[in-house]
Parts: sequence; structure tokens; C-alpha cells
Amino acid sequence: MRFSPAARQRLEWVGVHSFAIAAALFFVLPFVFVALTAVMTDQQSLTRDLWPDPFRWHNLIDVWSTPGFGTWWRNTLVYAVGGTVLTLVSSIPVAHALAHFRFRGRKLAMMMVIATMMLPPQVVIIPMYLVWAKQLHLTGTLWPLIVPLAFGDAYSIFLLRQFLVTVPREYLDAAKVDGAGELQVLLRVVLPMCRPAIAAVALFQFFYCWNDYFGPQIYASENPGAWTLSYGLQTFKSAHHTNWNFTMAATLLVMAPVIALFFLAQKAFIEGVTLTGVKG
Amino acid sequence: MSWRRRETLRNIAFLSPWLLGTGLFFLYPLLSTLYFSFTKYNGFSPPTFDGLDNYRYVFGHYPFFWPALRNTLWFVAVMVTLRTVFGMAVGMLVVRLRRGANLFRTVFYAPYLAPPVASTLAFVFLLNPGTGPVNTVLHRLGMPEPGWFNDPTWSKPALTLLALWGIGDLMVIFMASLLDVPKELYEAADLDGAGAWSRFRYVTLPHLRPIVGFSVVTGVIATMQYYTQPIVAGEVASGHIQGSGQQFEPGYPEQSTLTLPQLVYNLGFQRFDIGSACVIALVLFGLSMGFAAVLMRRGSVFLGGDL
Amino acid sequence: MTRSTSRRGTRRLTVAAVALALPLTVSACTGSSEGGNNDDPDADVTITFWHGWSADSEVAAIQATIDAFEEANPNIHVKAVGNITDDKINQALRAGGSSAPDVVSSFTTDNVGQFCTSGAFEDLTPFMAESDLDPAATFPPAQLEYTQYQGNQCALPLLSDAYGLYYNKDMFAAAGITEPPKTMSEFDADAVKLTKETGDGYSQLGFMPNYHGYESSISHFVAQWSPTYFTEDGKSNVANDPVFAQSMEWQKALVGKLGGYDKLEKYRSTFGDEFGAKNPFMTGQVAMAIDGEWRAGMIAADAPDLNFGVAPFPVPDDQADTYGKGYITGTIVGIASTSQKQNAAWRFVQFLTSDTKAVVDFANAIHNVPSTLAALASPDVSQDPAMQTFIAIASDPDSNTTPASPNGGAYQLTLQDLGYAFESGKQSDLQAGLSDTAAQIDTDVAQSK
Repeated sequence: MRFSPAARQRLEWVGVHSFAIAAALFFVLPFVFVALTAVMTDQQSLTRDLWPDPFRWHNLIDVWSTPGFGTWWRNTLVYAVGGTVLTLVSSIPVAHALAHFRFRGRKLAMMMVIATMMLPPQVVIIPMYLVWAKQLHLTGTLWPLIVPLAFGDAYSIFLLRQFLVTVPREYLDAAKVDGAGELQVLLRVVLPMCRPAIAAVALFQFFYCWNDYFGPQIYASENPGAWTLSYGLQTFKSAHHTNWNFTMAATLLVMAPVIALFFLAQKAFIEGVTLTGVKG
Repeated sequence: MSWRRRETLRNIAFLSPWLLGTGLFFLYPLLSTLYFSFTKYNGFSPPTFDGLDNYRYVFGHYPFFWPALRNTLWFVAVMVTLRTVFGMAVGMLVVRLRRGANLFRTVFYAPYLAPPVASTLAFVFLLNPGTGPVNTVLHRLGMPEPGWFNDPTWSKPALTLLALWGIGDLMVIFMASLLDVPKELYEAADLDGAGAWSRFRYVTLPHLRPIVGFSVVTGVIATMQYYTQPIVAGEVASGHIQGSGQQFEPGYPEQSTLTLPQLVYNLGFQRFDIGSACVIALVLFGLSMGFAAVLMRRGSVFLGGDL
Repeated sequence: MTRSTSRRGTRRLTVAAVALALPLTVSACTGSSEGGNNDDPDADVTITFWHGWSADSEVAAIQATIDAFEEANPNIHVKAVGNITDDKINQALRAGGSSAPDVVSSFTTDNVGQFCTSGAFEDLTPFMAESDLDPAATFPPAQLEYTQYQGNQCALPLLSDAYGLYYNKDMFAAAGITEPPKTMSEFDADAVKLTKETGDGYSQLGFMPNYHGYESSISHFVAQWSPTYFTEDGKSNVANDPVFAQSMEWQKALVGKLGGYDKLEKYRSTFGDEFGAKNPFMTGQVAMAIDGEWRAGMIAADAPDLNFGVAPFPVPDDQADTYGKGYITGTIVGIASTSQKQNAAWRFVQFLTSDTKAVVDFANAIHNVPSTLAALASPDVSQDPAMQTFIAIASDPDSNTTPASPNGGAYQLTLQDLGYAFESGKQSDLQAGLSDTAAQIDTDVAQSK
């Protein structure tokens, strides 16, 4: 049985939109649950009841004024912003070198970048932790998380390199003919052309730092003054009891800024992803 | 100064932060891990050389190692595949939609931004076999109610569902690539009378191949590091709250959610056995490098350009 | 190609040098920071105290104790940090440095063996000797047992937990049961009488025997049989001491009598949070439960209308004359070996653990069982009948605990895994399972030495 093109189109339309609705439900419902639990009383959270009764909007204020919440915000911002800036400053020159310089061992360097990218942090965490703890006595702070980003982040280097490779040689050569040094070529010619890619990499790094759990758990957990939001979330779980409603309320407060950031930066972000050559 | 010399200096200048970083944060710890794997070290007293003892223990007598390894391979096979397919499907969906594309995009992407601890907690509750909304609905529909995070057969699928919920990043990448397919190709296919499936197979899919490659690579990387979600899910689903004196049960239920990174944490930070933790770390490393080698074989796919 | 050969040669040399230098650098990086007990305890000093309490009432209670100490010792100031778990303790003690605590307390006794053998906690024996504190005369034997390992008393008990039987008096009356069961046979009979099955569920369950059922764990059950976990030379005894098999057979039989493993597991998944208001005993989902003394306080707060009683948990029929015993555990406190102010720290630890008034007040405030012989006998201890029952259990000479081990609670976990397999039917040969478990425990212990 063959469908007429009109019927086929209609079927497609129905199919696509059914899938869209199903997918939308799948993505939205857990959020709805989080939001509803966030305004439940402690007694009611995590019981069979799905609808809060009464509504405790005050939970959000309670969570915000939890001792330490402000500190966690500050720490997360420091880590995310500081980490992103350092990543960019250290990774861009490396990506530029890997994309545009010809030198012996360039292939090896590229392999190393990929190898480090594939390295799970748990592989090196123990000696790193021992150094930070015993030699430098810097555990209980965020330094062990931020400092390594000043030395380049393999993932960012890789993405940036993929894009930089697409900058036509003529632009670089033209600049050099005009007498620009390498650094100036990078700053004046290459960077302005790569804005979307840099924005994308910056956002990736920012989100990674914002939600990082493993890092703060290992390095910052012993000092509540150094906790970040993602780690602080599990503080509503004390030795005897878990405050689910507060945990969910805190989740909302933690997610709100990043969602807002994504919404605003959507265009730059998507353009950036398109242009980082990730798609080949 | 010769031009050659200047070039070398320039190279070093640009590469130096990364070279230093690789030495300090990759080579040094990797060699340290190798060294420690041959010692008995509890973190308090100095390490003592122990030969292959830790290796014998981990491979022969540590009951959690082989289940964790099997789980990791399961996740690589199933979770990476499903994420790629689902990411592609959702990407295609979002590209198709005309009305409300912006809203759909944000809705589909937002879960990716959820803190891993919170999203795991949410899913553990939603999929609670007794009182959770999902099973309640299934019950009303008269369908079988799986045990989800409390059932060893369903715990990994439950974690996969959680991973699919956070598909946002892959969706965006697929979407970007789909938008890049030249319209002329689709028009030509239409003229030739190709149906939806043929269009997909002969126009869309070849164009997406590099993204599929990227998605597989990053998926494998993430799977090797899979830590937060399984450990939180196991803790919460088993009802063991830390500090109440109850034993923490790795990989609840029945070691089905154990992953190698959890073992590193368990041995190194809870059991005071740094030597064995390093053995597991090396296994992780070997696995990652193994996958990296395999993927790089077909590597031009995602390395692109002139290497 | 001389240039490239020499380059390759240089590279080789560099690699070799790095490889050689590495163990040296690495071992240099692993030195531990040493603490000291040369401090003058009468000098003005501030010590840091890490503990696990976090609920408002509990934090207020520990602070009151600290205030009492500071009043008696005005030169020592105590900075307290709460909500600390063992993972954080481990990390801080390894790192040392100025942010590391001086006095540490933990809710779980599991890591005492590791703290003692690794030297993370100081051996308190010399401190006690200097202060004329005789541990055997001050602390009950079970409490001393779980705070030491092979003669090294590296911790002291800071309040205890005792486990007993909670039962719903209304349900007992409705079923015609006049007093709580004393032996296992009586217990089984009562549990069956109190169970009302409905189709594929229950409207009321006598008792949740499954090992995942909150405090229904192997170590809590087998305590009623007075087990010996390890032999004199530190080898696991689970396969040789018959009580382990007896206890597990009892549990499995009870599971069968109450409806079978699967049905019970399904019912268990409907239970609310253990420490929340929907605890199954407090909602009436189960008629009896094994739980610690803190449960009475929670019932008073969240289910004040519950008509409940407390009694020691039943004992096996062939040990009926030991009725009154129970499983004991508790909070432990120790001095970090990295501390530079150990003498001052000892003053504080001594006060916390052995000053009768401090112990009694603290125990009353957080509804725990006091941990010294003097405090247990004190007239100021809460006269609440539930608490009195637990005090009797804690004072009972046959009450016992899970001993310390150099690799923490791993041996309990291994035994527990066997329990899970046995109760669900996955493991049918119990004796073989116990032998395997004993072998695994021995291997793990050997690995950690």
C-alpha cells in the first residue's frame, strides 16, 4: 500500500509532533517534580503525595539563608569564572600553536592532548591529592581545582584547535606580511574571528565548573568554607535525616542562573558549537 | 638569533603552559600512581614496597573488581549507543519544529545543566518502585512495574534513563550539524522521489558521521569517569544514610551500579589502601587508552584537517 | 643522521633520569606531618573539635557540654565544627596542617581499627595513666571493646547506642499478646500473629526481617546470640562459630513465615525515610521493630499518639537466661596524631568522656545512652521508661558489639553480602557461604596490614 505524498506528509507531521510531546514530557516532568517537592513541607516530601499541601514557598528563602549558602555561591562563582578565564588564557595560545605552527612533534603533541582528554580524573587523583594535602597543605580550599586550569584544559584546547584550523591561511600570512609578530597575529586577527568558538568553549568550561561534584568532594569537603553549590547540595543530608524539600529547593536555586545564562547565550553558543569544527 | 632558534622559542612560549601542565598534572601523577601500585600505603605512614601483592589482590580477591569492570563495559555498549541515537533523534526533532523551537530547545537542554546529585535524587524518587509516580502510573495502566534502582536488572537501565534525560549537550551538537546540511541535497533527493527513510540514510546520515564519531568518543570518555550518579543512586536507593553506623553498600543493588571510579574512591579514601586504589586507576587508564587507540584508528573522522 | 640519533639519545637519557628521580621525589612527597604532646595544657590555647552532629537540638547539646568544659578550663577554647563524616576525617588527618582538627569524634565505630593501626589517632593509654583514669573501672566492657584494637586504646566512647525491641501496644492488645516476646520462638509466633496479608501486600506486618530493612541487619541480629567474630590471632570466625549460621537460619525461616522474600521486599519499598516522620514503625506499617534508643525521641516528636513499648530484643531459646542483652555501639572520640596540642586536647577528651555530670547531661539532651559506669548508675539520668530499658541493656554484661578491624567495617559488609544472598535464595549452601566469607575477610584483613 503506497501512501500519497500528502498523506505521507501528514503522517510525518503527526509522528514528529507526537514524539515532540512525548519528549517534552520526559524532559519536563522531573523538573515539575523537583519544583513541587521544593515547596513541600518536610513531612510531605518523598511520600506518595505529588501535590504540596500546604505550599511552603518559604523553603526557598530558608535555603537561601542557610548558613553557608552565600559562601557556596561565592565559591562556585570564583571557581567557575576564575576557572573559565584561566582556561581560555592558557588554552588559546596552545590551540593556536597546534593549529598554525609547523614543528617537529606536532603530531605527538596532538596525540598527547587527546590522551589527556581521555584521562579519567580518578586515575591521577590519588597522587595529586597527596601532593596538595601533604606538601602544599592546600586541601580544604579551591586552589587544587583552579590552579590546574591555568595550564590549559585538554578538552578546550582540542575544541579550539578544531576551529582555529579552519581560519584561512591567507589572513595569517597577510598579517605577518604587515609585520605582525605571532602574538599580535593571534590577538588581532585570529581571536576576533573566533568569537563564537571562544564563547562556546567558555560556556562549556563554565558549566563544567558550576556542576562539578567530584572535584570539590575530594579537595574542599573538609572545609565548609570552601564548598561549592553542587557539593553543598548534599549538606541537607545530615547524619540522621535528609531534607528532601530543601535539597530540591536548593537545586532550583542552583540551576536558575545557569539556565538563564544558557537562554541568553543560546545564539552565541549554538553558533559556537557549529563553528568549532566538531561537526567535521 | 637564527630564524630557526626564534621559531623554537616561539613554539615553546606558546606551548609552555600546556607542557608544564601535562608534566605536572598528567605525567607526574601517572608515574606516581604506577609507583604506588607496587607499594602498601595507607596515607599516614610512609609507603613500603610490596611488589605485585596489590595486583594479586585486586584481580584475584577483591570481590568488587570484576562486577565493576563488567558494568563499565555494559555502560559503554548500551549507554553510549543509546545516547548517540537519542541525541540524534532529538536533534532532528528540534530542527523539524517550526513553532516554539526556542522553547523546546531550552526545555530539552535544561536538564543537562542540572547538578548531578540533584537530578539523581529526583530520578531515584520518581522511579521508586513502591511509591514513585512512574510506577503508580504503570500500575494504573495495568503494566508490569520494574524495580528500577532497587532491582539489579533494572538499575543500569534506570541510570541510562537518567543519562538520556541529560541529552542536551549532544542534542545541540547534532542540531548544529543538521542545520548545516545543504538544502540542495534534500531538494535533489525529493525530486528523485526519495522517502523520509532514504533521505535520512543517504543525505543526513553521511553528513552526521563526524558528529556520531565525536559523540561516541565523548560518551566513552564520560563512561570511564562515571561516578557521581551511580554512587548517589546506590546510596539513596539502599536507604543507607552515611554516618548512621550502617554499612555503605557499594553498587547497590548487588553490585549492579558499581563502576571503577567508585572503587578508586572506596579503596583509596575509605579503606586506607592506596596501593590497590592505584591498581584500579591504572586499569582505568589502560581501558581509556585502549578505547582511545581504537577510536583514533578511525580517527580522521574527528581529528579533521591536516594532522 | 647524527643529529636525529643524538636527539633520540638525549630523549632516552631524559626518560631514564625522570624514571629514576621519580620514586625519590614521590617518596619525598609522602612524608607525614608529626604531631606533638609537648604542649603545656595550662597555656592559653584553642583546639579544634570535629563532630558529626547537625540537628539543631544536638548541636546545642554538644555546645552546652563545650561551654561547661570551658568554664572549668578557662585557658582552653574549643572551636567546634559539625556534620563531619568519616571521609572528611580521613582526608583531614592525612593532610595534617593547621586546618586539621585536634579532637575528632565519629558516629561509626567501623574505622577505629584503621585509626589505631595507621597511627591516625593517638594511643590514649599514656594519657589515661597520667590522669589516673582506669578505663576498666570507668567504661563498660563493650564500649571499651569497640574503641580499641589489639591493645591500642586509640579512642574512647562518647555516649552509646543500645538496640532493643520496639513494639506497638495497641496492635499487641488487638492480637491478644500480653507481653513482649523473650525468646525467638515467642518472637516468631508473635510476628506471625501480628501480620495481616492482603493479596500481594500487607495491611500490617509483624516485623521486617529483610536485611535491607533499616536496622534489621546481620550484626544487630546475631548480637543476640553473643557471637565471636574473630579468633585470638585475628582470623575470621564466622564459619567456625555456629551462632552465625543459627542466626541466619532463624532470619531466613522468619522471612518464609512472613510471606517470602519478594513480597517483603515489595512492602519494604513502600516504607518512608528511616529518620523521617513516615518511619514504618511510626506509621503502623510494622508492629515491631529493632531500633536504637533515639527512636523514642523521634516518636515523641513525630508520632506522639503512638502507644508503644520498649523491651530488650529476644534471645535464642537455648540462651534464654541471657535475656536483657543487646547490640551496643556508639560515638567514638579520639585525638588526632597530627595535633600539636595533644595535652590540651586530652583535657577536653577526658572531660567529654568521663565527667559524670557532663556525660549524663549530654545523654539526656540528645536521648542517647550514657557511656560510663558511673553515668549509667547516676540518678540524674532520664527516668523515662524507654530510656531506662536501654540503660539496662547497655549495663547488661552480656551485651556485645562488633569488634574493630584494621580495614574498617569491610568484614561486616562481606558478611552482610552473604546475608543478602542467603535471604533471597541466591545462596543455598549456608556453610559453604560462611567459609567463603571467612576466607574473604581474612584476605581483606591481610591486604590491609
